[in-house]
Amino acid sequence: MTAPPQRQVQQSPVQPRRRARRQEAWLAYLFLLPALLLIGVFGLFPILYSLYMSVYNWRVRQGDFVGLANYHQLLGSWGGPATFVLGLVLILTAHWLWTGAFAELSARRWWRLPAALALLGAGVAIALSWGVITTHGDAAFLQSVIVTMYYAVLSVPLQIVLALVLAALLYGKIKGQGFFRAVYFLPYVIPVVATAAVFRIIFSPRESSLANTVLGWLHFAPQQWLFDPRPLSQVLFGFQWPGVWAGPSMALATIVLFGVWTYVGYNVVIFLAGLTGIPRDLYEAAEIDGAGSIAQFFSITVPLLSPVIFYVALVGLIGTLQAFNHLYVMRVPSAQGTVDTASINIFDTFYQANNYGLAAAESFVLFFLILVLTLFQFRFFGRKVFYG
Amino acid sequence: MAEQTQGRQIQGGPVQTEELQAQLRPAATPRESYVFHWSHLPIYFFLMIGAIFALTPFLYMLTTSLMTLGETINKQWLPHQPRLGNYAQAWVQGNFDRYFVNSILISALTILGLVTTSALAAYAFARMTFPGRDALFVVLLATLMIPETVTFIPNFLMVRGGILPLPGGSWLDSLAALTVPFMANAFSIFLLRQFFARIPSELWDAAQLDGAGHLRFLVTIVVPLSRAALLTVTLLTFVASWNSFLWPLLVTFTPTWRPLTVGLWTFISEAGPETQLLMAGSVIAVVPVLIIYLLTQRQFTEGVATSGLKG
Repeated sequence: MTAPPQRQVQQSPVQPRRRARRQEAWLAYLFLLPALLLIGVFGLFPILYSLYMSVYNWRVRQGDFVGLANYHQLLGSWGGPATFVLGLVLILTAHWLWTGAFAELSARRWWRLPAALALLGAGVAIALSWGVITTHGDAAFLQSVIVTMYYAVLSVPLQIVLALVLAALLYGKIKGQGFFRAVYFLPYVIPVVATAAVFRIIFSPRESSLANTVLGWLHFAPQQWLFDPRPLSQVLFGFQWPGVWAGPSMALATIVLFGVWTYVGYNVVIFLAGLTGIPRDLYEAAEIDGAGSIAQFFSITVPLLSPVIFYVALVGLIGTLQAFNHLYVMRVPSAQGTVDTASINIFDTFYQANNYGLAAAESFVLFFLILVLTLFQFRFFGRKVFYG
Repeated sequence: MAEQTQGRQIQGGPVQTEELQAQLRPAATPRESYVFHWSHLPIYFFLMIGAIFALTPFLYMLTTSLMTLGETINKQWLPHQPRLGNYAQAWVQGNFDRYFVNSILISALTILGLVTTSALAAYAFARMTFPGRDALFVVLLATLMIPETVTFIPNFLMVRGGILPLPGGSWLDSLAALTVPFMANAFSIFLLRQFFARIPSELWDAAQLDGAGHLRFLVTIVVPLSRAALLTVTLLTFVASWNSFLWPLLVTFTPTWRPLTVGLWTFISEAGPETQLLMAGSVIAVVPVLIIYLLTQRQFTEGVATSGLKG
């Protein structure tokens, strides 16, 4: 730990330096050991073990090796998933062709034709594969994947837009920035079990509930909220769209509201920190040029904040795709599974049905989806980000 | 303070610890004198709407927790007479005294373990050279991507015993299961590493001249200088630990080590229609976090801001 012994310094000047370096390396590994051991045992090893479990018939105790049977049960046999992956590859190919994979040729517009064809093929492949997967796969699990997508697609943009507007307003020359920031951030630190319990009461289907009272003030009919499995499009506009196209249920939309309430403040704090990085002179110059505050927002704030927006969108996407706690606490039987996301479904397969092998396979499918979506987000939006 | 005098002794130079700490703190926005203008009114209006949305559920929780059962049913805004007795009733019925102690113990142990392992690892990554450092760091950051949904099933089996030789056999329904798996994470190491790396290397040179090794340098100089970052890690760990739900729900069967969140959930599931008791229980679970948040609100939001941006 300390300086090398004196005797060797006298013998040769090169040896001890190397020895000291080696000593430092050993010490560094010693420092790393507790953290890496814990992360390895409880973070990395479980992934391998989960993969191992997913190829066994495993109900509480380990059973027979079944190969990919669990995956087949979830997604049908080979055809569906393979076509789906082909669709993903085609999307990437289309993107690659479009953005000028062959720089010298990209001046010629005809390169866009194969790109468009590839994209078309991707659409067909994914649509076809979805048909195949849903007819042969596990209906409850696939439904939960759809619910997960609804949840993410509704939540992430809402959370970002609201937070961006609030942060931009807060960043103006106003008083009480600290107060508002603290208030907006508050829901994020409070235990979800407690806040979700309040939301269940505020959004109870009783006519006297707070949410329905507010609707009454605005002359709207009372709603069933968390208890309403009907699609939002039907509740609001009376549309009768079939299947997936009908969109998320009223119950899920209510949970999205809860998610927005919880996470907007977190995003506001991060956006505010990002805003401090934008030089004030830019706004002053824009003001001299006669740009209004809305023009300033769209031509200065949004582009210069784009790396932060990208980061928040990424974290938000990963977070919503694996959200569990508040969905678990806020689901009621009347919602008829329309709020059961993939993570809820995995928990049920594990905890209620005690089918550990199948649950592990489900968690891997979810993991794969999260990875793919993150990768796509990087590929398509990562480049549009302006890093100054 | 003791650490600071020691810091000065070792440096023996003109750099003061207070100055250093000021340098290491994130830059604050310069304060300008505020002049009210009518055009600010709509801004305040929108901000107030946001604040009302953020606070209403808490106010609702508080008022309902003080009502009688009849008042909760009859759409009252405020209780006729605040019934503090609801808290006592919820406290006893919900077994909250036990859960409270459990949650405090779990959080304290987790924080202690996490700060120790993270500080050591962060120091190694920030200030020591060893083969494979950068590769290890990349692997570490990649673990941030792993969702809990993938790890909780194998971890449950592991804690149940029989997969890896855990000290003490099965950890189910024990304090170890609730704390040990959370005593290290990549995020805290990353956050502390960023901070440790900014400490001037002259300090290390001076410490070496004084005959200090890495461990002594870490404990006597780096840690006192990094109080802001350590506080951030502590606060974030406290919130994560206090609010954790899925894992404790899985690994606790009896009230022995059950934390407040799971206790509150069982209470909610069993309390039936007595809304005022549910809300009283929720208030009880919220108050500790609320107090800590109100006391450290600034460090909290600043910590999230800096860590969020760099993470």
